Amino acid sequence: MADTTTTSDSSTHDITRLYAEVLQRAVFAKDALALEMALTEASDLGRDLIVLEIPLEEVGELHHEALVQLARANPDLPLQQVAARITAPLMEATMAYSLAFREQLERRATTLVNARLEQSRRLEAVGTLAAGIAHDFNNILGAILGFSELLEDELAPDSSGQRYLEYIQQSSFRARDLIARLLAFARDLADTPVPVEVVALVRDTLTLLRASLPVGAQVAFNSEIDEAWVLAEPSQIQQIVMNLCINAADAIGQAPGHIEVGLEWVQRLEDTAAETPGWVRLSVRDDGEGMTSEVRERIFDPFFTTKEPGKGSGLGLSVIHGLVGQLGGRIEIESAPGAGSRFIIELPRLAPPNATADDSGATHNEKLQ
Amino acid sequence: MTNVLIVDDDDIFRAMLVEMVQREGYQVSTATDGNKALAAIEQSQPDLIITDILMPEKDGIELIMELAQRESGIPIIAVSGGRRSISLEFNLESAKLMGVRATLPKPFSREDLRRAIAEALA
Repeated sequence: MADTTTTSDSSTHDITRLYAEVLQRAVFAKDALALEMALTEASDLGRDLIVLEIPLEEVGELHHEALVQLARANPDLPLQQVAARITAPLMEATMAYSLAFREQLERRATTLVNARLEQSRRLEAVGTLAAGIAHDFNNILGAILGFSELLEDELAPDSSGQRYLEYIQQSSFRARDLIARLLAFARDLADTPVPVEVVALVRDTLTLLRASLPVGAQVAFNSEIDEAWVLAEPSQIQQIVMNLCINAADAIGQAPGHIEVGLEWVQRLEDTAAETPGWVRLSVRDDGEGMTSEVRERIFDPFFTTKEPGKGSGLGLSVIHGLVGQLGGRIEIESAPGAGSRFIIELPRLAPPNATADDSGATHNEKLQ
Repeated sequence: MTNVLIVDDDDIFRAMLVEMVQREGYQVSTATDGNKALAAIEQSQPDLIITDILMPEKDGIELIMELAQRESGIPIIAVSGGRRSISLEFNLESAKLMGVRATLPKPFSREDLRRAIAEALA
C-alpha cells in the first residue's frame, strides 16, 4: 500500500548505534553481572525492533553493522572474546526475535480477518433492512408518481403547476433508482450467473461509459490476456466497472487525469496446490486526489460518501463489495492522499467453456477516446 | 363494460390505482387482501384482476394459486414493490401457467399500466 508506515531511517540508525554501544559493554564487561545487564539491554532493544516492525533481514544487517562498528572502534579485540561473550546470546536473541515477529504477524492477520468478518456482518444486516424498506418505499413512491400523473390531467398545459409536477416526478424517479440500488445491495438479484467472458465485456462497458465521463479523464484499457471467464451475471461485471470508473473520474475532478483499467490472471500458491484455475484480476487505477486511511476504512460502509450532497448515494461501493463477495471474490484498495487510488478486484477464474484458451495471452493496450 | 378487480392492502396506492384504471374507461371493484378478493369474485366474476403480491392474510401468490386450482381463467396482472416477490419466490414462467399475463413492478407509469392491461386482455 502506498501509505503503509515504514520505519524511519533515523530510528533504525539510533538503534544500530545503541546496539553497538551495548555490544561493546558486553564484550568489555568486568564480571558476569555486568555482562548479563548489557545483554538484557540488548534484548530490550530487540523488543523495540519488534514494535518498529523491522523485517528480519534488516535485523540481521543491523547486527552486522553493530559488529562492524565494534571492530572498527577496537581493532585489537580478539575474535574469541567477541564470540564467547556475545555471539551465542545474540543468536538466541535473533531466534527469539524471529518467533516474536511471527507471532505478531499472526496476531495482525487474525485482527484483520476479524475486522473483515465484522464488516461483512454489518453489511448483511443493512442488506436485510434495505430489502424490507425497499418494498414499503416502492408502495409510497408508486402512489406519489401515480397521483402526480393523474394530476397532469387536471392542470392547464404550460402552467406552473405542470412544471412543479415535473419536478415531483423527477425527484421520485431519483428515489426509485436509489431503491433499485438498495435492492441490488440487498442481493436481491434474480438473474442466474452464467460463464461470462470478461475481456470483451469490460471493453464494451468502457466504450459505453466513455461518453458520460468528463472530457479530461483519459481512459486506457490494458489487458494482459485475450480472454478470461468468470461465473457471474454480465450486469454485475458492468456495474462493478462502471461504478469504479465513475468514482475514479470523480477523484480526478475537472483537471486532466488518467484512468487505467487492467485485466490479468493471478495464481496463488494455494491454487497450484489445489489445481484451481486461479483468479481474474480487474484493477482500476486513477491519478486523482486519493484517500486518507480514515476514508479508506469506511469506503465500503453503506451511505458513506465523500461526494457533495446530491452527487452520490454512498451505496455504490457497498454494492460492489456485496457483488464481489457474492461472486466469491475479493476487493483491495491501494490509495494515499495525492497519490491516486487503485481498486483491485479478484474473481475466481473459470475454465473457458470450450477449454481452448491457454495462459499465453498477448498484451493489448488501447486508448479509448 | 370491462370489470377490473383491484386487490391491494395499501389504501392510498389502491385509491391511486382505482383512479387510473377508471380513467382508462373500466369499471372497478376493490378488495384489500386475497380472502376478500375471493369473496368478491364469488359475488361477481371480474374480467381482469390486478393484484398486489405482498399482503396480510392471504397474499397475492396464494390468491393466484387458488384461482388457478379453480380454473377460473380470469387474466391477472401481478403488482409488486420488491423484485424478489415477483422474480424469485414466484417464478414468472410458473406464474404465466397460473393465469398471470403481465407483471408490474412498483412504481409504474400510466403507460406501463396501459400496456399491462392491453397485454392481459389480449
